[in-house]
Amino acid sequence: MLLSLKWLREFVPFEGTAEELGAKLTMSGLEMEGLERPFAGLKSLVVGLVATCARHPESDHLSVCRVDVGGEILNIVCGAPNVAAGQKVAVVRAGGVLPDGTPIRAARLRGAPSQGMICSEAELGLSAEHEGILVLDPSSRVGASLPDALDLDDEVLNIAVTPNRGDCLSVLGLAREVSALYGLPLTPPETRLTEEGDPAAMALALEVADGNLCPLYQGRIIENAVNGGSPARLRYRLRAVGLRAVSCLVDVTNYILMELGQPLHAFDLDRLEGGRVSVRGADPGEILVTLDGQERSLLPSDITIRDSFRALGLGGVMGGRNSEITGESRRVFLECAIFQPSAIRRTARRLAMNSDAAYRFERGVDQTGAGYALDRAAAMIAELSGGRVRPGVLRVEHRPWKAPCITLRKRKAEVLLGIPLEDAFCAETLARLGCGVETPAPANSGGEPVGIWKDVFPFDGPEVVEEGSVWKVFPPGYRPDLVREADLTEELARVYGVDRIEPAVPAIVRSLPRAGLPESGYRFRSRVKHWAKGLGLNETINYSFTSHKELDVFDPAGGGRIGILNPLSDEHNVLRTLLAPGLLAALRANLAQGAAGLRLFEVAAVFSADPSSPTTAREEQRLGLLLHGSRFDSGWPQVQQDADFQDLAGILEHLLRAFSLPPADLRPADPSVYPWLSPAVDIFVQNSPLGFLGRVRPGTAAAYHARKPVWLAECNLDSLQALHRAVRPAFRPLPVFPPIRRDVTLICPPGFSGSRILEAIRDLGGFLLAEVRLIDCFEPQDRGDRHLTYRLTFRHPSRTLKDAEADQQRDAIVAALTGALPVRL
Amino acid sequence: MDLTAALENLVPALETGLAEVSSLARLEDIQVAFLGRKGALARLMSRLPELPAAERPAFGRAANAVKERLAALLEDARLRLGREQEAADLARFDPSLPGRLPWQGSLHPITLVMEEISDVFQAMGFEIASGPEVETDFHNFEALNFPPDHPARDMQDTLFVAEGVVLRTHTSPIQVRAMLERKGPPVAIIAPGKVYRRDSDLTHTPMFHQIEGLLVDSRVTLAELRGVLTMFVRQLFGRDIAVRFRPSFFPFTEPSVEADISCILCAGTGRAQNSPCRVCKGTGWLEILGAGMVHPNVFSAVGFNPETCSGFAFGLGVERVAMLKYGIGDLRMFFENDLRFLAQFS
Repeated sequence: MLLSLKWLREFVPFEGTAEELGAKLTMSGLEMEGLERPFAGLKSLVVGLVATCARHPESDHLSVCRVDVGGEILNIVCGAPNVAAGQKVAVVRAGGVLPDGTPIRAARLRGAPSQGMICSEAELGLSAEHEGILVLDPSSRVGASLPDALDLDDEVLNIAVTPNRGDCLSVLGLAREVSALYGLPLTPPETRLTEEGDPAAMALALEVADGNLCPLYQGRIIENAVNGGSPARLRYRLRAVGLRAVSCLVDVTNYILMELGQPLHAFDLDRLEGGRVSVRGADPGEILVTLDGQERSLLPSDITIRDSFRALGLGGVMGGRNSEITGESRRVFLECAIFQPSAIRRTARRLAMNSDAAYRFERGVDQTGAGYALDRAAAMIAELSGGRVRPGVLRVEHRPWKAPCITLRKRKAEVLLGIPLEDAFCAETLARLGCGVETPAPANSGGEPVGIWKDVFPFDGPEVVEEGSVWKVFPPGYRPDLVREADLTEELARVYGVDRIEPAVPAIVRSLPRAGLPESGYRFRSRVKHWAKGLGLNETINYSFTSHKELDVFDPAGGGRIGILNPLSDEHNVLRTLLAPGLLAALRANLAQGAAGLRLFEVAAVFSADPSSPTTAREEQRLGLLLHGSRFDSGWPQVQQDADFQDLAGILEHLLRAFSLPPADLRPADPSVYPWLSPAVDIFVQNSPLGFLGRVRPGTAAAYHARKPVWLAECNLDSLQALHRAVRPAFRPLPVFPPIRRDVTLICPPGFSGSRILEAIRDLGGFLLAEVRLIDCFEPQDRGDRHLTYRLTFRHPSRTLKDAEADQQRDAIVAALTGALPVRL
Repeated sequence: MDLTAALENLVPALETGLAEVSSLARLEDIQVAFLGRKGALARLMSRLPELPAAERPAFGRAANAVKERLAALLEDARLRLGREQEAADLARFDPSLPGRLPWQGSLHPITLVMEEISDVFQAMGFEIASGPEVETDFHNFEALNFPPDHPARDMQDTLFVAEGVVLRTHTSPIQVRAMLERKGPPVAIIAPGKVYRRDSDLTHTPMFHQIEGLLVDSRVTLAELRGVLTMFVRQLFGRDIAVRFRPSFFPFTEPSVEADISCILCAGTGRAQNSPCRVCKGTGWLEILGAGMVHPNVFSAVGFNPETCSGFAFGLGVERVAMLKYGIGDLRMFFENDLRFLAQFS
């Protein structure tokens, strides 16, 4: 809401500065977002008197003027056809600047010296008018600054109005607020309306189908209007608050909208047929061309204003082309109505029409102020257009506004705010805000129960069991947001000053049933993040959405996705079903910056459709890992090698150990499930699937500009947490007797599962085998068989083992292995 | 040669040998040659039976003395060589050469700030809560007193995934879930998480992070909200930070306030380096969170009796805090994942 300080002062005698006012409003809930000076560019211009004006001897369209700018006479060459001696004009001196930044310099025009410029409205940025210079009112003082001479609205406060305060979307509304905050009287201009001719009711009948949708519909008829331009003052004022002047009829409706917050609409009465205006829902399939030239398909739920044959406009949103006011309009039906906020909002939303009228109706317009607005607008139109207002207001008010009755218990407000409140302050504040306030019979003589509040009052001391004052409050029509006690408490706090409330520290009570709950998912994920950081991975945060197109690479079948119905763009039209796209996008961004090695991780949810979920979605928390390029980001003495499968598998094993879990079982995955990975591996822990890992296929990786191998893993953190939670950490006594170690090298075909050999050794080892570990893996140059060296550790639990026993046990294991598996010594 | 003379000769012979030795390996060889099982001393001792029985004890004593002397010489040489070796190693040593650096990990600044804030509130007794990111209209709007077709919904441009199902536009639905789950006071939760809005420009990203706080008990006051928030911002930004309350509007709180903190750059003066402070734009205050007393309609929606309990709720933008805390000027950096950015938070 743009509020001109001068305009405000017509409604309330506020004498402070704009900055003071802004600060006060900000601290009362109407934040000043900025202070604008729309005519700052005119500061250096002055009023000049054209003393003499003569033809330029060398030109047939230039004039040479002597202009008195107050104590100084300037020679100015002017090209405007309308310049004449005796005019008061707007002058910029040589060395000055026009509002658009054009510098004005002393010059010679065809031999005549010119020490400045006489300006048109267009040059002043006041309108598009550039045919001739602006001629000022003869009473303007020569030498005065132009903004003063024009009495321009030079200070405009940009106030952020919250959705509950529709009443503050007008000069009047803000003036009420200022009046209440400063204790100043409200002085709205008086309206003197002269009615003439036959009663309006003879020209038009009104009909409203549904009083819920349109509680009040009223209007006046103005005859013999001449719809010319508006006077400068009105045009400049509209310009100051960001509106464009059109014609006097339209300008008045805009002026009243800004001033009183009441949207109005002017119909060209000659274009209405049938002598009847009705308000009802649109016909099915009806089409209306609105003022902005758009064809709108209407629904029966849209409120239309109609004559006997057709829709003339969308009530409360925008008028129609077919009844629009034009330069030729002489007879006007001026509508001033109240519409149901939610109906207006539905229509405006559906049709994406954000008109000033809809904006205000959605937030509630004061039904009790509509009569004043209508009369003021009609009077202004009559004055500016020379029209005559026909006697009488056409009016259908199915539902007159009725103030709700709210019970306000002072004690409850005090306890909620944590401050003591004086009775006088409460009553006075509410009255200043326009509420009717009644004190009912004392509450302790059988009035309303005050419940628990009576014994928790912290201010008077515990002895005084006093329920405090109770009022019946009737809010004014312009405050539809005040409907319950809490709303009034807020008003008291606002006027008291929320910033005056002293801080207090609560004693936070925890409930016993919440004690000993398992670790929260948040905390578990936090531990995973810290593990990853400690291991040297860099955390990324990627958007939860991606595009269907991108997901198709990872999941061509495309089932179970959750699309976004109203995406900002096609880049973000579906929720991610896996973390890979985000990690790969982060990879691409970093490769573009020349990164050589990347070790990224992300902990976040992935989403899939789940018809059994109330939210339609299943959310799974995941850990994503990505390795690419150099294994270490430092140079010497680290070996420069690229990360490979063993790096990723090792990280995974480290994760499992960090959460007290046994090593993973890594199995080759079904390639059709991971068409973008090769190799692809399923991760199982204790036979539960935990996720996958693998190398991104070069073709897919290339799309992310990766030329080196990209290794990626995703791990279900919900499952990991469940597995982790099931682990009961317990101490194992340390072995007492010494171990004996034996190394065995086995030769097996390439690609034969190492974990099968390991498992077989464990199975065969019996109770003497304490540990087995692969200590070397060697592949000869010819890339034939693979040589695997295992170190077996034997130990007897209750005595010292003998060398011969260990040898015997080893030999037995080897013999059985070579018999059962395709391995040899 | 006389055995005793031969024995006596061993000492000068070793001295000559040790004078030339320059490595520990060579010293080992010499030690073996003199004191080894088949060394010079052992060979002489093996000839003991050649001596008359009466001379044997004296020879034995002499041999032991020589052996001790040899061992002492060898030990001296070993120490000398060790010192020489150490000096030579030290001469080659360059402590300025880099170490073998392990991987350097980092946490995202959003994570750092979320955890820091959560920790502060947990220490005050708040419990971590969470909820789904895909939310029902009921939890995200209706229960929070956003009626359908109400302009309050314009405050948050919503992304929809189905009729009545949205990507949560704030962390406030977690309030609703926490209260429904606990069925009555007390409730003291802090809920960090991702939120989504249909908005993308220089100062808005379609996904960002919020932290929600809620305290409900039999008698929670607005003054206590101010106390808790003051405590929080001081722990986050320092002891001198002041909190300012301005009235505001949120459908789910009443009264609603906007909390500002005194500017962390200009200490609330509005001026830094003789010009208006660029962080607070000269106002001395920074908007940091929205808060208020839980609206009675919210209590009713979750089955709490607004007559017997009261509470406050607040929500703050994590990115905003991270930007202030680390002096990050561009919101979009948080989601570009540039390692040069991320690595600064290790």
